[in-house]
Amino acid sequence: MPSEYSTSTSDVSAMIFRVAKADRSAFAGLYQATAPKLLGVVMRILNNRAWADEVIQDAYLKIWQKAGQFDAHKSSPITWLVSIARNSAIDELRKHPVGRTTNDHELDQMAGQQPTAQEQAEDQQTVNQLNHCIDQLEKERQDMVRLAYLNGWSRDDLASQFGQPINTVKTWLRRALQDIKGCLES
Amino acid sequence: MTERDDLDMQAAEYVLGTLPADERNALQARREQDPTLDALILEWEERLSDMTDDVELVEPGSELFEKIERALGRDDSNVIALRSQLNRWRWSTALASAAALVLVAVLTFQPQPATAPESFVAVFQHDDQQPAFLLTVNLEDRQLNIRPVTAEAKPDKSYQLWIKADELGPKPRSVGVMGDQFEIDRAALQEYDPALLRTATFGISVEPPGGSPTGQPTGPAIHGYLYPAGDVSGDSDSE
Repeated sequence: MPSEYSTSTSDVSAMIFRVAKADRSAFAGLYQATAPKLLGVVMRILNNRAWADEVIQDAYLKIWQKAGQFDAHKSSPITWLVSIARNSAIDELRKHPVGRTTNDHELDQMAGQQPTAQEQAEDQQTVNQLNHCIDQLEKERQDMVRLAYLNGWSRDDLASQFGQPINTVKTWLRRALQDIKGCLES
Repeated sequence: MTERDDLDMQAAEYVLGTLPADERNALQARREQDPTLDALILEWEERLSDMTDDVELVEPGSELFEKIERALGRDDSNVIALRSQLNRWRWSTALASAAALVLVAVLTFQPQPATAPESFVAVFQHDDQQPAFLLTVNLEDRQLNIRPVTAEAKPDKSYQLWIKADELGPKPRSVGVMGDQFEIDRAALQEYDPALLRTATFGISVEPPGGSPTGQPTGPAIHGYLYPAGDVSGDSDSE
């Protein structure tokens, strides 16, 4: 959970439980506490404010409807919320693909915004273990994983950016994901 | 690789976002039925979500939450009840001779919190695509207003507005027949209780000049979307 949140994880969980009981004021509180995060994630994927606004609207309607399915034993509340928004954004993007040209901007943005684990360790009290694990991958695979997850790049986008056949991209991504899983469990 | 490993990798790529669209849709559908897959997806969401720690927050505009709340108004359970009411009406009129284009919509809202206007709008659609009419009802003074959107005057035909509610019995009741310029008696709903209006179903049918000869709509009823007043221009512009 990023440090800029003043609302704690358990507060967010409690709000989701109240939303499940159709509590409108809890829903407003949940939105206030989490919308900037969800909109940030969706904007990064869609790169278009009006489009992102629509997806966020859709995402919060889903949150309202699905709040009863939230299980605090299986998901952290922020992950659950972010996943709903990310899924909506990626579904939209696959329905209306925007041709990715070789986009150094996103690569730069990524390089600029993804501190290495070591930098994080210096900046923050807790190291983000996931970033540590991603940093163990070969450089190209690090970029692929982050471009896919954070920017919504498809296998095709990655294939043309990295000059690899699509099947190779698929193999690399799956191996990278297995490596991440192994690293997180170690 | 075992089947479970393969499913785990599909779940992983689903969460990463790189599954091709058809596989992605198939997996999403399967997830609804398959708790094992659902659990694998939730685990991957947990594993990867810390990547978003560094994503810059984006402050939403102030109007976005208002839009969400209004959309929520459309999603209240009484609307679902109305949809089924609408279906009942559709079935009950399906036997009548299918004369022509018929449009139906629903007008109802839960009273919105504090600031909500007492004015509600029903959008009548031709075919799920184009709004045909907008019906506005002010529940305070029970004045109604009909505005054509894509609907056009038809020579030798009249549009007729109907209301249906459980309290009024099983059959739709005529509210009035529109004139050539779509004008209608604005006070035609005066006799109805606002609470009834909130839960009623409204329909528009195409009838012979002067209105239905049978006192009932002569074609099947179709479809409607709900909007609180104030939202209409924005929504229809963006469609």
